[in-house]
Amino acid sequence: MATSVLLACGLNEQKLPGFVHISEESNVDGSFLISCILGQRLRISNAGTLLVCLQHHYQHYFNAGMRLGYNTNIFQGKTLGVIDVLSDMAGQGLASKWLRHPDGQNLTEQLMEDIRSQVETNYASRNSYTVLIDNLSILFNLGATKLQVQQFCQDLAALSKERDNLTVITKLSNSDIYQLTDNNVAKLGQVRIQVLRLKSGVFREVDGKLLIERVLEEGKFACEETRKEVLYKVNDRNVKVFTPGEIGVKV
Amino acid sequence: MLSNLLVTQQKVVLIIDELNRERLAPKFIDGLLHEQGQEADTIKALPTGANLKHVSSFNALITECATNSVSGTTTQAADEQTVGCPGAKPAGYNIILPTLADLLCYQPPAFVFGFLNRLRRSEEVRRVFLWASPKHLQHPDATYILAGCEYIAELVLRLETDTLLSLISRKPGGGVTNKRYSCKVTKNEFQVTPLDGGPAAPAPQLSAEEEQTPEPVNSTFKIELDEDEVVARNALTLPYERASEPSEGNIIYTPDADDDFDEEDPDEDLCI
Repeated sequence: MATSVLLACGLNEQKLPGFVHISEESNVDGSFLISCILGQRLRISNAGTLLVCLQHHYQHYFNAGMRLGYNTNIFQGKTLGVIDVLSDMAGQGLASKWLRHPDGQNLTEQLMEDIRSQVETNYASRNSYTVLIDNLSILFNLGATKLQVQQFCQDLAALSKERDNLTVITKLSNSDIYQLTDNNVAKLGQVRIQVLRLKSGVFREVDGKLLIERVLEEGKFACEETRKEVLYKVNDRNVKVFTPGEIGVKV
Repeated sequence: MLSNLLVTQQKVVLIIDELNRERLAPKFIDGLLHEQGQEADTIKALPTGANLKHVSSFNALITECATNSVSGTTTQAADEQTVGCPGAKPAGYNIILPTLADLLCYQPPAFVFGFLNRLRRSEEVRRVFLWASPKHLQHPDATYILAGCEYIAELVLRLETDTLLSLISRKPGGGVTNKRYSCKVTKNEFQVTPLDGGPAAPAPQLSAEEEQTPEPVNSTFKIELDEDEVVARNALTLPYERASEPSEGNIIYTPDADDDFDEEDPDEDLCI
């Protein structure tokens, strides 16, 4: 269902790089990547996953998973942990801890504390652990500043370095105004996936372009890195990828 | 090599990176220092990430430099080897700061400038390196902050493109030079070649043979400098600079070849 897109991104392996960042350009939606990665992690036996829902609530990921061929409810509470910020706020209103800021902590500090406690509880009993955060730009809407988001990402990067087999995957919609934050988050990791719109406009058979940059080795003065470009199309029950030039106008 | 141009007498070095190479910053600077024979124990770096929240981390670095002040035989030897000048000042620590974007993520600009000044004034600090990538600076006053750093720095390296860089050097006497170089970067080597042309001259595609023998300009004098000559020139302390240094009175006497100098009675020729 989603193997080809994960293969193109190099995220189909059991062991993932420590920090992966997905940059989403204005006017494109890269949420399908989160659902694809989530499905792949859940299929690996004894691999723990923590899903931090900021853009969509948990039910969305459940529905998306059912379409892609996996049931998140089976794994929830076992290998899958969920921090559902949106549902908490919808259920508890202004009494929600995400809006009250108890203990004088700001939103990002509180979120980091929750992530750390989930990791500490579950990491030891799992072969590997993945933290998926969708989507950092919602933190801005909830009142976090750019510096707080940057500090939050620095903490996440430090967390991924503290433990082996722990991967942090973040997504950020840069909306053409958070480009600098996007660059600062991307530099923390080894893999950056940019979800870009087609420069030529809208096309029925292709939704957009993925630009995958992976640092293979860091030298003293330059990095050895690979760049790959693929086109993608999100269908109802799968995601297809094409190499540029493969699809053309048929006369 | 780029390190010949950057690891000199100048104390505060600012690297402005337009190429998004910020992730390499610590390795890059460390590589330059090692190329110039600076030993690992003379290189100090601030911790990165959340540690920068605490002012104590910054104070600890200054205190550490002061307490473990390098008395200097090894580093001085390394420095003299580097700059090729026996009269060089005694060496101290080379400080690699976190990138400006990371510093501003945790500390206000006033603190960053204050800390830079403290390092600049510290006698135990030999050089300070600061890396700034405009594409990563998200402070609302980033342009002014960067300009402030440029003002403080004595050496400003700007990595403009993959093949072009410029270097502004301010000497203690007040002289300022702005030079442009073409560069060739591999994973572990950073070669530079001075550009003689105008400010926007593109990097010429020279063969290896042409690179070794640059074309002479239309002049009877040799006015361009090669790398070794630039290093020698930067290392040279001019007499008026030497005069401004606080030092004890010395009589420097260089005997001629024909001199009959008697160490036991140096005033023999006065017939007194």
